[in-house]
Amino acid sequence: MSYISASNVKFSYDEKGKNVLNGVNLKVNKGEFVALLGHNGCGKSTMAKTLNAMLLPKEGVVYIDGMDTSDDEVTYEIRRRVGLVLQNPDNQLVASIIEEDVAFGPENLGLEPNEIRRRVDNALKAVDMYEYRTHAPHKLSGGQKQRVAIAGIIAMEPSCIVFDEPTAMLDPNGREEVMRTIKTLKEKGITIVLITHYMDEAVLADRVIVMDKGEILTEGTPESVFSQVNLLKKHSLDVPQATELAYKLIGAGIRFSKMPLTAYECVDFLEGVLS
Amino acid sequence: MSIIEVKNLCYTYGKGTPFEKTAVNDLSLSVDEGEVIGLIGHTGSGKSTFVQMLNGLIRPDSGQVLLNGRDIWSNPKEIRKIRFKVGMVFQYPEYQLFDETVYKDISFGPRNKGLSENEIDEVVRKSAKFVGLSDNLLQQSPFDLSGGEKRRAAIAGVISMDPDVLVLDEPTAGLDPLGRDVLLSQIMQYHKERKNTIFIVSHSMEDIAQIADRVMVMNKGRLEMIDTPKKVFSQIDRLEGMGLRVPQITKIMLSLKKRGFEFSDGILSVEQAFSEVVDLLKKEGKI
Amino acid sequence: MIRDVTLGQFIPSNSIVHKADPRVKIVLLVSFIVLIFCAFNFVSLALVTAAVLGIIILSNIPVKMYFKSLKVIIVIILITSVLNMFYGTGDPIWQFGFLKLTLSGIYRAVFVTVRIILLILISACLTFTTSPTDLTDAIERLMKPLKVFHIKVHEIAMMMTIALRFVPTLLEETDKIMSAQKARGADMESGGLIKKVKSMTPVLIPLFVSAFRRAYDLAMAMECRCYQGGDGRTRMKTLHIHRLDVFCIVFTALVITGVVLCDIFIAPII
Repeated sequence: MSYISASNVKFSYDEKGKNVLNGVNLKVNKGEFVALLGHNGCGKSTMAKTLNAMLLPKEGVVYIDGMDTSDDEVTYEIRRRVGLVLQNPDNQLVASIIEEDVAFGPENLGLEPNEIRRRVDNALKAVDMYEYRTHAPHKLSGGQKQRVAIAGIIAMEPSCIVFDEPTAMLDPNGREEVMRTIKTLKEKGITIVLITHYMDEAVLADRVIVMDKGEILTEGTPESVFSQVNLLKKHSLDVPQATELAYKLIGAGIRFSKMPLTAYECVDFLEGVLS
Repeated sequence: MSIIEVKNLCYTYGKGTPFEKTAVNDLSLSVDEGEVIGLIGHTGSGKSTFVQMLNGLIRPDSGQVLLNGRDIWSNPKEIRKIRFKVGMVFQYPEYQLFDETVYKDISFGPRNKGLSENEIDEVVRKSAKFVGLSDNLLQQSPFDLSGGEKRRAAIAGVISMDPDVLVLDEPTAGLDPLGRDVLLSQIMQYHKERKNTIFIVSHSMEDIAQIADRVMVMNKGRLEMIDTPKKVFSQIDRLEGMGLRVPQITKIMLSLKKRGFEFSDGILSVEQAFSEVVDLLKKEGKI
Repeated sequence: MIRDVTLGQFIPSNSIVHKADPRVKIVLLVSFIVLIFCAFNFVSLALVTAAVLGIIILSNIPVKMYFKSLKVIIVIILITSVLNMFYGTGDPIWQFGFLKLTLSGIYRAVFVTVRIILLILISACLTFTTSPTDLTDAIERLMKPLKVFHIKVHEIAMMMTIALRFVPTLLEETDKIMSAQKARGADMESGGLIKKVKSMTPVLIPLFVSAFRRAYDLAMAMECRCYQGGDGRTRMKTLHIHRLDVFCIVFTALVITGVVLCDIFIAPII
């Protein structure tokens, strides 16, 4: 069975209001890296919050590792297993010292002091922020703060982390730092759900899901999703320029064996075509 | 005629303390009326400090900012007047909204400028229109607007002062692709009609390539380059050395050029790249 | 511009006063404050003064910093000491109208002045040598018994922690909003008090809105990290009483004994 299994999820913020989620079916396997794309207001952030029982679906069910998120008994077990990293790095940090902030989650779990220490050190090393452990958060850059926030989640030793637009407020360097961290977490076998509207981040995923108006528009490998340039453009989503160029060239009669998603893939391919 | 001339501008934070940091170092440039200048540089390169010296929010340690040939600090008591001529939109400007209605909020600047009620009414409606806010939104509380509308209301609050120079610090940060495209086209439409000078700070090289007449590159407080986007973005190695990217399409075409294919330098749009590739293929009889 | 504001007055160093357990420091501070007001003759006062000065020297904080903390209340010290001088009973040494300067008055003034100064110095010593985080932490642990009286000790400590965390963030934000409003021609420098207060509205409202937004986000982030109040929560840093702390306690106990003995065997002056 899939690690995350959501079926026919419907949700609205007020009783009579329009549904923000309109029957979403989502399955994510253990260790998979899934990117959830869509423009603002398409329901992707709401979807993220149903995955760790911060929001409960109005209709439909969400199972995490076989546990129903609407079961009160397992709410905190689900939150421990599915960590959620939010957009604004500043508003996620609780304590004025980095290591104490990272310890916040494990402290809530009621762990032994030695065990907390071990987890905090490991988490800070995993995001490459160990040497900053005694610093104050407000002196760090946006990317560093976001990495500390990620460490705070890692310290709870979750098996899945949901990232809700983690790079939207960061500069290019910060974005790169955070994406590098996400890649190493994926290599460690953590299941990853990345919500973003940056296409260059989505191409790193195993599977891309595009949402629109509370529904899933299309899903598949990055190559297959980004090949649908017209569909994406119609829903005001960006396509990597490399893919757009290839798409136009296909229109002009050139055959591509595989849709290029990055600059390197595009250069290699065009070199083959031209020479 | 140059509207802004900057001469040997220097600014250091925390002078005389252990935290001393030179933010802007001996920067000189001159900008013609009606130009759109794209300003790029990574965080900490001094670009925020530089733009805040253009409207006198930060007073330079040395050097001058000349607006229409006159030093803006020639009379420090009058510095507030400069701010109506050099309008500045900060990053995430929606966080500065405060008044009961969108209308009142947009009128804050013109009222500070000392315009009459009639004049205020005219400029408020005009600037709301520029950013695409419909009339029925004007009487709503700014806090009830959607994220994108808030951003546009805040920008209207600066445009309403009718500045000759408009500085925008990352106007599209945090917006999705649709919001970004709409906002940029509104800014360019406004620029076309008002014909004023614009400085736009952005991390998005694709946006800069699309709209700027000239690109200025800042690194470690210094002005590294100022030239057309085409020329700036063809210097990919130099930019990457400063931790900056170039638009993906430019990078692809430059890499192909390095491998011996005949393409022009600094290709900035997918359309141009497409037509050059097709031309080359036709020439070689491949299609 | 509001920049680099350090909250509290913590000055990091490696002195033994810094290293002592914050809980012990708070308890000893309270004992010293009581002790300062229990010195009734010059010998016991001298003893307390010597002990306080000794601690200050051990704290490895520049003396300049202590003077700075005294400077703030110098007026209060002057006024109380002058008033006390004329408040004594007994034969006047000098008289001007209803103002009577007596020996007991002078003694009283000396005692009050020295007491206030010692009070400030020893309290400053605590804030100089203990980080705000350690202070809140120690207060939480010391107040734990108050739970019996249904006082929300954990919640109070959590509020203090969050406040400490967000003060620099909100200061930076204030700075940004002020710049943004100045860029729209807001005039915050000129005008009388009322005009100045009024001109702060465009800064305060966005600041409150932002504080609410941050509070909402933070509450969500805390819940995502399994926060459910103080019950069942453990701490990473456990405080242990070390030999150094025992030494501090014994030292204070000795000073207390000394003062009590002096008070018993030497006649009180005030």
